[in-house]
Amino acid sequence: MAARVRRAVYPLFQPGGPQLRLFRPDFFMAAVRPGVPQPADTAQFRVSMEMTKVDIKNYLEKIYNVPVVAVRTRIQHGAHNRRNHKNQRVKKPDYKVAYVQLGQGQTFQFPNLFPEKEQTPEARSFDDFKNKYLEEEAQRQRGDPRRGGVPDWFGL
Amino acid sequence: MAAAMAMAALCRRFTGTLRVSGALQASPAACLPGLMPNLFQKNLAKVEPLHHLKFLHTTLSRKGLEEFFDDPQNWGEKTVKSGDAWNIKQLRGKSSEDLHKLWYVLLKEKNMLLTLEQESKRQHRPMPSPERLEKVEKSMKRIDLVVREREDALRLLQTGQEKPVPGEWRQDFLGRTYWYTYKEWPIPWYLNKKYKKRKFFYLPHVNRFIRLRLEKHLRRRARRQNLEKKKQKLLEKKFPHLAVKSQSQ
Repeated sequence: MAARVRRAVYPLFQPGGPQLRLFRPDFFMAAVRPGVPQPADTAQFRVSMEMTKVDIKNYLEKIYNVPVVAVRTRIQHGAHNRRNHKNQRVKKPDYKVAYVQLGQGQTFQFPNLFPEKEQTPEARSFDDFKNKYLEEEAQRQRGDPRRGGVPDWFGL
Repeated sequence: MAAAMAMAALCRRFTGTLRVSGALQASPAACLPGLMPNLFQKNLAKVEPLHHLKFLHTTLSRKGLEEFFDDPQNWGEKTVKSGDAWNIKQLRGKSSEDLHKLWYVLLKEKNMLLTLEQESKRQHRPMPSPERLEKVEKSMKRIDLVVREREDALRLLQTGQEKPVPGEWRQDFLGRTYWYTYKEWPIPWYLNKKYKKRKFFYLPHVNRFIRLRLEKHLRRRARRQNLEKKKQKLLEKKFPHLAVKSQSQ
């Protein structure tokens, strides 16, 4: 989903050295609706390929303030059965999927992000009709552009 | 220092209680598909007594995983209004601390938008206002640029180094020139077998091959240029009126 542009250069590890700090992480993490039904306390995410389980746990706990008990990850193989116009195989990119088990008895269910909005049908339909009528009227006033200004009554 | 520690502990305890109360309240409501807006109000009512402690700034953990989703009022809308991306001039005026805070705000926004994008892809619907993603990415790129500028300035002042990782142009055993970045070695280079095995020089018998490589490069370039000229001439021959016109202009 996102390309990593920056490359951090870390000092060589030596015993007693300072702990490595990551400023401005560019890891992304997108919640996805689970395809296979999951337990109530499990949330599914698509994460950056570079993230480890520990990274995911820290990310959620430090940035989102969500208690995490366990993280399980897998790498989804992107399909390569598509062919392009030269009949070469085209691969979809792989991605990492994380299943995060929430702590403190929290539950999570993916919400419906596209609910049917209840709009007042009369107001909307009235406006629509009015606009359509006005547009048609304007078009009638303008006339057919292909006739080149020749009046309507002239011709077959 | 001790006072600060005590304050931090107090803050942590407060946030802990808040989180627990939030979780307890959230557990029955979280089973519902949507978020209950009145849930936040309930929480706010609970938090009110803390308001007289103005100096205690505790970030409420009201929103946990809900931050991966847009405001519930925007669900189902076709377009969502959004401001402009952060300008580089605006970002240059900010302190480093503010920039880092802003980075996390943008990161959360980006995650939210990626979630929305994926969900709309899954449901075969157009994403509401997809330009937001581009704006957020642009802003993040600019923050990165500003921070790098400041790091460069500081490094130039303190050490006089232009690059974050120093290096130099070197030649390998075939006489090819490349940029060698210095790196830290656990033991000094003159004791390091692995480093000493690498050759940063070439022997005189390689000169002939360097010459051949150069000739190959020149030949390819000449061939390409000749081909272009030939094509140009062919076109001029095919369309003489256009050729004259282009020369006259």
